[in-house]
Amino acid sequence: MKPTISSSRGIIKWGVGLTIIGLAALAVIYVLALAYTPFEVRQGAAQKIFYVHVPAAWSAMMAFSLVGLVSILYLWLRDERLDAFAAASAEVGLVFSVIMLTTGPIWGKPIWGTWWTWDARLTLTLILFLLFLGYMTLRSAIHDPAERARFSAVVGIMGMVLVPFIHVSVYLFRTLHPKPIVLKASAPSLPPEMLRTLLLGFLAASVLYLGFVVLRYGLARHAMAELDEEN
Amino acid sequence: MPENTSYMIAAYVVAAVVYLVYGGSLLARGFRALRKDR
Repeated sequence: MKPTISSSRGIIKWGVGLTIIGLAALAVIYVLALAYTPFEVRQGAAQKIFYVHVPAAWSAMMAFSLVGLVSILYLWLRDERLDAFAAASAEVGLVFSVIMLTTGPIWGKPIWGTWWTWDARLTLTLILFLLFLGYMTLRSAIHDPAERARFSAVVGIMGMVLVPFIHVSVYLFRTLHPKPIVLKASAPSLPPEMLRTLLLGFLAASVLYLGFVVLRYGLARHAMAELDEEN
Repeated sequence: MPENTSYMIAAYVVAAVVYLVYGGSLLARGFRALRKDR
């Protein structure tokens, strides 16, 4: 379906609204994390990096998983809107990954004694980040829209396959990275203040993901509509 | 001041800068597109 200026304006408005709400929610998480949650006895203040690192990782994995799922749908339905959504989700996933891959080592240095270690969890996460950098490079290198969408859909699906491996890597291999404390079969093992703040952090990061993706998707549709009008 | 505070501040600042730079640039482009079509 061809985009129109008026329909893309509506999407951009939703994206602007959700992004502002997401950024405001993030500010609330900062206040809660710094003022409401207690200091962990062994790690001190470094443990509070948890409230920015884990929600960013959650949104990054959600973004890359959705790229893969939407890419499968694209290869089936060949709807260009699905390709535009996948491109938006990949870009936003990279933004959350940058936060995950910078706050992680800043947390690791005082607790593990090293910025980085080549264990399965960290290495697979870096490979996923590099794979989606390649995805974006591939998109900018191919000019034919149908070919670009088809090739990048295949790369997007390969990226999605890595996500569950990253989740279970802490169970399969020896690693310095802690095991999940919320997304696991048994009940979350956290004090209530920490758990509440973390869950609200997940919500804020999810709203922010949604705002970024809707806005990025709307801008892409808007640019396409302008191009169609010119031709 | 609790132990490791500088690491916590560094992580919070890095995350805020990335969110604000990317979010701000998207918002600026969104507002520009909405203003242009009016």
